[in-house]
Amino acid sequence: MLSGIDYFIVIAYLAGIMLLGLYFRKFVHSSQDFFLAGKMLPFWAIGMSIVATDIGALDFVGLAGNAYEYGIAVANFDWLGSVPAMLLAAFVFVPYFWRAGFYTIPEYMGRRYNDHVRAAVSVIWLIFFAFDLGVVFWATGLLLQELMNWPIWLSVLVTAGVVGLYTICGGLTAVVMTDAVQMIIMFVGGGAVVATGFWRVGGWSGLVDKVTALGPAYQNHFELILPTTTDTPFPWTGILFGLTFVMANAYMIGNQAIVQRCLAAKNEWHAKASMIFGAFLKMFIPLLTVFPGLMALVLLKTPVEKGDEAFPSLIRTMLPAGMKGLLFAAFLAGLMSTIDSLLNSGATLWTKDVYERFIRKDATDAHYLRVGRIVTAALLLFGVVATPVTGKFDTLYEAIQTYLSFFQGPLFSLLLLGIFWKRATQWGAMVGFVGGLVISVSFFLLKGNLFTIESPFLYISWWSFVIATALNIVVSLRTTPPPPESLHGLVYGLGGDPKTNGVTRSPEC
Amino acid sequence: MLNFDWLSGVSPGAAKMVFLIMFVAIGVLVALVPRRFIYEGVERPRWWHNLKLWAWGVLVLIFAVYCIF
Repeated sequence: MLSGIDYFIVIAYLAGIMLLGLYFRKFVHSSQDFFLAGKMLPFWAIGMSIVATDIGALDFVGLAGNAYEYGIAVANFDWLGSVPAMLLAAFVFVPYFWRAGFYTIPEYMGRRYNDHVRAAVSVIWLIFFAFDLGVVFWATGLLLQELMNWPIWLSVLVTAGVVGLYTICGGLTAVVMTDAVQMIIMFVGGGAVVATGFWRVGGWSGLVDKVTALGPAYQNHFELILPTTTDTPFPWTGILFGLTFVMANAYMIGNQAIVQRCLAAKNEWHAKASMIFGAFLKMFIPLLTVFPGLMALVLLKTPVEKGDEAFPSLIRTMLPAGMKGLLFAAFLAGLMSTIDSLLNSGATLWTKDVYERFIRKDATDAHYLRVGRIVTAALLLFGVVATPVTGKFDTLYEAIQTYLSFFQGPLFSLLLLGIFWKRATQWGAMVGFVGGLVISVSFFLLKGNLFTIESPFLYISWWSFVIATALNIVVSLRTTPPPPESLHGLVYGLGGDPKTNGVTRSPEC
Repeated sequence: MLNFDWLSGVSPGAAKMVFLIMFVAIGVLVALVPRRFIYEGVERPRWWHNLKLWAWGVLVLIFAVYCIF
């Protein structure tokens, strides 16, 4: 339970973040201000925001839980799952997206392929964001229940209220600037836990000695590269093919919640630099999220039944008064920075890719600004209502990876062929994307018969990518290629301004 | 095939080398990026605007981590 000083820290944090977020309301005068922060953001704020968006409740609870069960191999998700992909994004994809003045990644799909691909990708991301909100809320509820004995629904409503208010009022500027502050709070709070933990276990050597002394099952707990025969969900083949080649790229290049802030950079250099700076910060995340899981193995007197219970139990037993509040604030920072990004990006997708494109094309800018705010509120409500669904999965992190694995492969296939292969056609894209999705879902349903590991989401994403790419190539070669003049600024090596030629296309034979 | 059984004979040590070589390869690709592209958007380029240096710094970090673990 929290003490008086802990409550003070938490309440001061919540009030401070809400006031900071509301301050940025005065900068929102147009839909571009709301969705792209007026294209004025510096690299450091974007880089910090990317990291704060990426890590949250899921990582504090889920990654520590996986480290408790499987060891540091789960850190691959922050290292291999970020650095190569963010460098690829910085030097290849983001410059093209930024120069074209896109609001959304599906907007690129619309210019490169057609409106149907754009709408399909956009709706799929929207569904993911909505359920992701539920997963994040569920993680929050679990932790607050453990720490403060709050009912899960009370935790969800309090956090939803605070985040919703400043996100609806301040748009992307409020989201990115509060994210930057929240990332610092996460590093300070998470760092305090790790420092305390290392002190309690006797430093690095003490941690290694005590964990490996637990028995043969813990001998690989400090190995990043695990054999293909491992019982964990992280064999090196899955890490290389599924994570590094597909999921990481799809997440860091195709995820609206990540890339949208790069599109809001003040110039192209800042857009590129933000990704590389974010990659640098990501290198430190496993220190905050993975090591507490290993420390829990040593410090918890009674082993927990599920990995997700390790981090909350560690906080309850290890931290003194004051530090619990700091960590609690850090946890809330991770949670809120993820939620605000999902809300703003979800609203951008709906407003720009669906509403403005298909429902009402010629409304005033003030109208689209109002729609963006209404959709933000609607998404928040849906996320709250979807919270119980997430309780059906074994671990939280696995739940989100399962959602992601369904469409990450096909999505990255679309982006990769779209930017590197000028022969890719709209029909190839549609068949590849739908075919890849069907394969993903089929493989997931048949995973017990097809795969030898229990959670094969890495393999599923790789094979769905391969099949989506193959389908795209085969169909593209059998259909009419896009006119060369329509590809300028959209395909690597073809210069030009996509704004002058990039009229979104409707499917045609 | 779906489970990469054909790679089951590769030891974790050899697999680690694959990852390390990949980091080096990315570093080489970064070196090949044209100088003009790196400074796009910067009015008065300074040495710290060189994003190649940033990228190599991150790659050195991750290379060291995978060497150790």
